[in-house]
Order: sequence, then structure tokens, then C-alpha cells
Amino acid sequence: MSTKHAKAAKRFIRNREQEQWHNETLWLVRQKRDNMAMRIPEWEELREQANRIKAHTVAELACYLEQFSSAAENNGAIVHWAKDAQEHNEIVYDILKQHQVKKLIKSKSMLTEECLLNPYLIDKGIEVVESDLGERILQLMGEHPSHIVMPAIHKKREEVGKLFEEKMDSEKDNSDPTYLTHIARKYLRKEFLTADAAMTGANFGIAQTGEVVVCTNEGNADMGTSLCKLHIVSMGIEKVIPDLKSLSVFTRLLARSATGQPSTTYTSHYRKPIEGGEMHIVIVDNGRSKIQHNFNYERILYCIRCGACMNTCPVYRRSGGYSYTYFIPGPIGINLGMLKSPKKYSDNLSACSLCYSCNNVCPVKVNLADQIYRWRQRLNLFHKASTTKKLMSKGMKFIFGHPALYGAVLKIAPIINHLPRFLVYNKLNAWGHGRELPRFAGKSFNSMWKKGKQLTINN
Amino acid sequence: MSSKNDIIKNLNPHYSWTLKLADIKTVEAVKFDNPVAEFLEISRFVGGDAVLLNEGEDVNALIKTLYPDAVRIASNLPEITIASFNPDETDDPHNLNDVELAIVKGELGVAENGCVWIPQNVRQKALYFISENLVIILDKNKIVNNMHEAYERVAGNDYGFGVFISGPSKTADIEQALVIGAHGAKSVRVIIN
Repeated sequence: MSTKHAKAAKRFIRNREQEQWHNETLWLVRQKRDNMAMRIPEWEELREQANRIKAHTVAELACYLEQFSSAAENNGAIVHWAKDAQEHNEIVYDILKQHQVKKLIKSKSMLTEECLLNPYLIDKGIEVVESDLGERILQLMGEHPSHIVMPAIHKKREEVGKLFEEKMDSEKDNSDPTYLTHIARKYLRKEFLTADAAMTGANFGIAQTGEVVVCTNEGNADMGTSLCKLHIVSMGIEKVIPDLKSLSVFTRLLARSATGQPSTTYTSHYRKPIEGGEMHIVIVDNGRSKIQHNFNYERILYCIRCGACMNTCPVYRRSGGYSYTYFIPGPIGINLGMLKSPKKYSDNLSACSLCYSCNNVCPVKVNLADQIYRWRQRLNLFHKASTTKKLMSKGMKFIFGHPALYGAVLKIAPIINHLPRFLVYNKLNAWGHGRELPRFAGKSFNSMWKKGKQLTINN
Repeated sequence: MSSKNDIIKNLNPHYSWTLKLADIKTVEAVKFDNPVAEFLEISRFVGGDAVLLNEGEDVNALIKTLYPDAVRIASNLPEITIASFNPDETDDPHNLNDVELAIVKGELGVAENGCVWIPQNVRQKALYFISENLVIILDKNKIVNNMHEAYERVAGNDYGFGVFISGPSKTADIEQALVIGAHGAKSVRVIIN
């Protein structure tokens, strides 16, 4: 009855040292977030305002998308619309083909991960270079991100050192992060200088002005887009917000929630194409519009992808991003996966203790834990409820419905305390995996209650 | 444009409970007694630096002491006499790859996070990022408390590109160890005059 998540998590925690490091490092990021939040007296009101702005925008998304696209076109950008991943990839490839692009330099975009753009383009013969350091490390290793903000959080410096020895001629056995980062800077600088086109995601699209806002710490989005004549933006429909006044709320929340910084190093506003160049914006649906009018789950569209829900999640911290079957892990990923395909991704629902910490740190107040709870209630509809648990529920329902039987069962329950281990701790008893069961009391509360008068506080 | 129509058609406005944007309560945001002092402190916190230009002090002399070894210095500002060339005369941004120091003007400083707003004011915006070191000159009367005040001033301006910069380029992608100098400038200093 273990889910795929539980099985994968078991593999992750086999390396106790790594598990502990992962847990503590992400908790440190959570604490940095707390320090930042506490420095702002109006933090909770700010979250509330962000939530309200998103509620408003998502409700009138059609209107804001129209406004955004016409403003962007007025600025000289070329706007494309993609209903799904396939169409998105085709549009991007067509633009690249028209401009005879051989090398594309990309900054981090979870949307292009979602669309599997890289393999699509590489298959067509285009060289694709990820420029975010974490993404580049993973691209060279042939892996995908395990966290949406810190993609290579599961990698140790020694692994990166080995990789760079092989790919970038770095010194043997030197795994100092500063040294390795500067080696990568040198190597990626060459890639920036020889790329034909640059691609970015979008943190925000401003409806009023038609500009796209991208936040990075490394400056990689800007290096690419200021050297190449061609800039392609890949943007999900939910990224649109009304105006710059709204943006001020989100820029105050994003970096503080994500990494515990007061701001990202660069908050770049792309309004017009570069001198003599072109700017294309691909607006992507890929299942999002379906969520917009689903009242149980529409709040998922408020998400600004800060990753705070992962950093705080006790299950994520101790099981790692790869234990989830959807490409976005953690509380947000559990829910996004379910909205994508409940049948395919229901295994991730077990990766939650309903502690509700994610709800409490989310800068836009997405009700992540409530949504997970709701999905669990509906598991049976998708034929994904555990048969063992269903059987146990049926048994318990029967016992609870027959008081005499219940009394009898309760009376003999303490026998379990004396049964041989193999009878209690086995495959059938999930509660006995990895932990000791509590002992049954010799007398039940019920029998003590009946004898009430003879009881004293001491017995 | 059938995909556009499909997407727009799928998005039903929730008129029944829609909040008007104007009705959303705006927060009363943090303000500082001395925004300039706060800006100086937070600039160091984000890995950069900010210095006040004393009265009568020459900005060129100050930059020279900060970057004594810089030879290839780019600036289009008339008051910067130590610049070795004007980057606006460069047609191809790739030629800026060897710039050791760029000196540019910032339009707005933000005390809560050390951000400086630069609406593109050089011909090649690559200059802000490709240069090894970046000096931003900022008027001390243009430092605001927070991002709300900042965007109030930015809104309505016409710019093709604009960027808020807070400190030097950085990454923590290898084991969360903070490293300065990922792809952009390795040092960012704001000179407040």
C-alpha cells in the first residue's frame, strides 16, 4: 500500500547524512524567510493584499490577458498564444527557424520544463544552453530540477566538482563553490557571447503596460537578452497582474519568501525589443484555463513560484524533490500534479502530514493543505484509494456500529501487547513501519467510567 | 489566432464575487526615519556597497580610489572624466565584454532592499551586466522608503527596458554556499551625491 512517493522517499532517506543536510539546509532558508518577514510589520497585511489582487486578477483573467497582449503589441512585441505544450514548442521552434538560430541561451523557466521544450528543440538540431548555474549543472548531468528555486539542491559540491573537471577543465578535486562558480562564469560567458537567441520565463506580466518582469540573482536572463537580438518569453496565463502598483506588492513578497533576501539582485522589466531586434511573448494555457473556474482549486493559479512551501514542508525536506512523480515537487507540486492528471499523480498525495505550514508561509495565501485534504477525500472517485485502508475502514465501521462487539474487542485488545512481534509488526500494519506502537491500556476508559465512583485520581 | 480565442473563451469571469481592484485595501508600508542611512546599511547586507560623496569631494577621485587598477572604464556621463571610452559609440554589445568598470546613473534608490532603478540610459543595456564592476551614481534626494513608493514613481514613465539592481550578481546553487559574481557584475557600488 506504499505510494510511489513513499517508496522513493525510502531510497532518499537511506543516505542519512544527505537527508539530514537537505532537511537542515532548507530549514535554514525557511528561517531566513522568517527573519525577512519579521522585519516588515505589515507582512501579514501584505500577504492578504497579494491574495486579494490575485483573486481579482484570476477572476477577470480574460480581460487582463487581452489588455496585456494589446499593450505588449503596442510596445512592439510579437504575441503568440499556445493552448498546450505542443503548440508552445512549435511556436518557439518556428521563431528560431525563421531566424536561423543555432544556439539558444535560456534562463530558468519552469514552464519550459513543463512543456519539455529542451528535448523538443535539441531533437530539431538546436543547441540549447541553460544559463542558470543550477540548471546548467543539471543539464550537463542529464537531470531535472528537484526544487523550483534551488534546482540543484540535491547535489553535493563534490559531484559538481567532478562534473566540471570533465566538462569545463576545472582543477582536479577542487570542489570549492566559489572556485566552481567562477569557472562556470567563464564558460557560460562564452556561451552568452556566441548565442543567437535568448529565452526567458516570466515572473510577472503587467497588463497595463504590456511589459514582462523577470527576477534573477545571477543576471543570466539579462546577459542573454542584452546580447542577442532575439528574445523569446514563455509565460503562463496566470502570470498576468493588473499594473505596476500591484507589482510592488509581489516584488516585496517574492524574494523574501523564496530565499530570505529583501529583493532579488535583478528585477528586470522588458517592455520593448532591443535596438534592431525582436521580442516574442508566448502566452501558454496548457490546462490552466480549466482551473480558473474550478472553485475548489482556482487558488492554485495565484502561486508566484517562490518555493516557500517546499522549504517549510517537513515531508519535502526529508524526502527530496525526486520522490514526487510530478516535475514540480512539494505542496504546490502535489496540487498541480492532481490538476494535471489525478490518476497519474495521485501517489504524491501521501507526501503530506496536513501540518498546514505551507498555508502559513505562502505569500499569496494559496490554501495548499486544504486542497491536498480535498483531493484525498476524492481519491476513491479516481479508484486510487488504498484497498487495505478501505477494508480497514469497512471493518472499523462495522465494529463502531455494534456497541456490544466494540466492548468485546476493547476488552481483548490488550492481548496485542503480548502477541509475538511478527503478528503485530508486519506488512498489514502500516502504522508499525519504522515506529513502535503505543501499548494498549489494561483497562479501557469505558470500563473505568462505569466504575467511576470507586476511582480516585491516584489510580 | 484560434488558440487565443479558445483560451479567452475558457476563462469565465467570476462576476458574482469579483473584487474591484480599487477596493482592495492598500497596506501602510514601512517607512524609515533616515532612508539614506537605511539604504547604506542594506546595500552592504545584499553584498554591495554604498558610499556618500562628501561635499566638495570629486566623484572621479573617489572611483579611482575604489577601483585603482581598472583601465577599461565605460561611461556616457559627462561628469565622469576617468572613463576610457563612451560605450554609446559601440554598435555591437559583444564588444563590451572586456569592460572592467562601468559607471552609470541610477534614477531611484529603495531603502528597504537596496534596489536602484535604472531605466535604460545607455545605448547597450548589456553594459549593466557584462561589466566586471558597476558603479551607480544616485541622487540622495531620490531614495524612497519602499517598493510601493518606487513603483509609484516608475509608473507612467516611458522606458523600453528598466531594471532594479540590488547588489552584485550572486548565486547559491552549489550547496547553498553564497558566491558573489555569477554572471553579472562582481561588485556593485552606489555613490550617493
